[in-house]
Amino acid sequence: MQPRLTPGNVPPAGPELVRLEGLRRTYGDTVAVRGADLVLRRGEVHALCGHNGAGKSTVVRMLSGQETPDAGTITIAGEQVRLRNRRSAQAAGVALVDQELSVVPALTVAENLVLGDQAAGWLYRRRQVRSRARKMLDELGLDHIDPYQQLSTLGLGERQLVEIARAFGQHAQVVILDEPTATLSDVESERVYDAVRRVAAAGSAVLFVSHRLGEVLELCDRVTVMRDGAVVADVASADLTVNALIRHMLGEAPTTLDKQPAADGEIALRLIDVAVPHRFESLSLDARAGTVYAFAGQVGSGAADVLRAVAGLEPSLRGRVSLGGRRVSSGSPASAARAGIAFASGDRKSEGLFLSRSVGVNLLATRIPDLATGGLVRRGRWRRTQQQVAAECGIDAPLATRVGDLSGGNQQKVFVGRALGRSDVKVLILDEPTRGVDVGGRANIHQLVRRAAEDGLVVLFASTELDELLDLADVVVTMHKGRVVAQHRGEVSDDTLLYEMTHGTSAMVGGRQ
Amino acid sequence: MRRWHQIHRIFLSRPERLLPTSALGITLLAFIALPSYSDAELTSFDTYNALQVFARLAPLVLGLGLTMLAGEFDLSVVGTYALGGMLAVQYGGTDWKLGIAAALGAGVVIGLTQGTIIARLGVPSMPVTLATYIALLGLTNALSGGLSKSYANPDVTLWLDKPVSEVFSPRSLMTIAAFVVIGSILGFSRWGREVRAIGSDRRASRVSGVQSDRVLIGLFVTSAVLAATSGALLNYSLGAANPDPGVQPLILAAAGALLGGVSLSGGHGSVAGLLAGALTVAFLAQIVTAAQLPTYTAQLFYAGLLALIVVVDAPGLQRAWTRGTIRITSRKVLT
Repeated sequence: MQPRLTPGNVPPAGPELVRLEGLRRTYGDTVAVRGADLVLRRGEVHALCGHNGAGKSTVVRMLSGQETPDAGTITIAGEQVRLRNRRSAQAAGVALVDQELSVVPALTVAENLVLGDQAAGWLYRRRQVRSRARKMLDELGLDHIDPYQQLSTLGLGERQLVEIARAFGQHAQVVILDEPTATLSDVESERVYDAVRRVAAAGSAVLFVSHRLGEVLELCDRVTVMRDGAVVADVASADLTVNALIRHMLGEAPTTLDKQPAADGEIALRLIDVAVPHRFESLSLDARAGTVYAFAGQVGSGAADVLRAVAGLEPSLRGRVSLGGRRVSSGSPASAARAGIAFASGDRKSEGLFLSRSVGVNLLATRIPDLATGGLVRRGRWRRTQQQVAAECGIDAPLATRVGDLSGGNQQKVFVGRALGRSDVKVLILDEPTRGVDVGGRANIHQLVRRAAEDGLVVLFASTELDELLDLADVVVTMHKGRVVAQHRGEVSDDTLLYEMTHGTSAMVGGRQ
Repeated sequence: MRRWHQIHRIFLSRPERLLPTSALGITLLAFIALPSYSDAELTSFDTYNALQVFARLAPLVLGLGLTMLAGEFDLSVVGTYALGGMLAVQYGGTDWKLGIAAALGAGVVIGLTQGTIIARLGVPSMPVTLATYIALLGLTNALSGGLSKSYANPDVTLWLDKPVSEVFSPRSLMTIAAFVVIGSILGFSRWGREVRAIGSDRRASRVSGVQSDRVLIGLFVTSAVLAATSGALLNYSLGAANPDPGVQPLILAAAGALLGGVSLSGGHGSVAGLLAGALTVAFLAQIVTAAQLPTYTAQLFYAGLLALIVVVDAPGLQRAWTRGTIRITSRKVLT
């Protein structure tokens, strides 16, 4: 289907800046994009939506010079261009925030901000770079970050903000933001939206890819929807609702999670005065089997650090973690895993998936001892379990596909699926379980998590998304600057959570335990 | 307090700065204190000798270290060093410039070939450079007929090792100059950041706009040119070319690079650190010679040093250290 471009629904934007016509890209036998058309105008914030594997990221890769199209043309400012690499795309005025975090830990913040910027020249003028970096950081409200700070000392969300600051600082005529807010809290996302609006107001075009449909409709002027490699709609966002957008993306009506009240199970996991210096202060929690606990907080609140500490990833953990009455050796991920704690990190690329191995191998990577007899893996049992786990997790990609070739959302499903349905797991820990996952995949993952709780597991997760906290959790623990603000069981309003997460006080009380 | 925080941030929390500075400082102290624990008397000639060892090894440390900084390994440096030296002796008999040009040309061709295979075809550098090392040793032997060749231009030989200000020689000064030039280029240009960036995260560097293939090829060419020139100058200085220098130069170059703070996983290190690493190895060698320690002592010492560096760099050990410290302090609090 061709994009629905009708004169009546075109919002008032500037002249045409980018035109993609008939773009096509195949990988082996798989057609990732089949004849995609897209028009971006000056001063426009244009969303590109679609479920995982719809072809959005491939379009982004072609427009940013990371892939060359098999067929079709790219025209920027009236000139047909051939974007062979990122450098040529930069020369054509295209800046990018990639779906995967693309800043370098070994460099300082300032060095990252000018890395690869051809306009900066070959000479590295330290003072000039520092003042430019300071300005770039300040424009995104990152005044607490020192430009000479090593990037490795920043958290995931702050690194993402540095990458966004870099893209905006290049003063490009086209800025592509592929899932820029996936690792950010609502407050930080707002800062990004402000910056996006400023960049568009200055005459650039912004292509915004996101699975957060609310932010898409709030921020963007137009929405192009892709499904199965083709553009299926191009609509002014004023004419859309979230449900209508989901129908365009999935081709059907959205499903909602049927959340049952948590069973009052036994206390299984106890955190007694646990703390990690400089990350979070002393915290205690008695977690019951069959209950989903959410740790809610902005980036840097310590919410994700609590999960990492319980999973044995913080060697400087103080206090005591016990599971089923037995102490779990702290600071050792192997001991935590042996005790029955499964952890899915928020950084699936460097702390989770084996990107060069197949979907099947990744799904079973943590179950090998169960599938082997006398050290030998039983092939029949291996194949059956692979198929069973893939079906349970709603993974429709062929099991032999390299995980690195999957879309970000499908990678996340594989990552979460690896921790599910295992008899040895008693506690399931998920850091940002639906980061970069489309609305359909998100519902799948939420159902899997609820089912895990119904099967008697303790589930702990951290999320910066209010909708996810409210939809999925039985108990929400809000955190601010490393300190627990409040603990809520049952109904709680999003206003209350947001207030506690941003102010660090529980002035607005709602459903406190 | 603020000053301590600054020292911690720019020095103590950065092993790539702390390691080379500490290693060189301790080695120089041991060198100065040599007469106090051995019968040796310290003279300016000992420093001159140490700097001659430095001139021999440092270009290899620099070449290998630069490729390690970018997350690769150039194991072919010793093969290129042998071939460059042999070509220089063979073609530089009447005019030393011809010999140097032949060595430089060989370095450029070797570096370009290796760099292109590794960067463009994505073949890991370890097998490529190991194969090149073996092939170059074979080629050098074929050129010389398996025998050492003498260099009959005593003017060049004498000039290269002539003492300058008692402790330097033109050769050691040229080596220091190479560090200054390459250090300045990487320190004051964007290429220095790009080399570390591709060593730390190549995909992110590419997405940022770094032309990682070109940077990698440039590094392999630089490494090969340094090795070939160093081999040429050494053989001019010795007045002879040996077709097989053995593996010791490679081992010492790796030790120098690691002592220079270059991380095994790439991304961390600097040219200044590599200079400190090369000086450390050179002065350690002179301590062993001056104190008349048996050769095996030096070998065991280097092996121990390498093991120590690798262990200190191991993340598992750092985790265990932190855990152990917390357990001990927790017990103290409880009692």
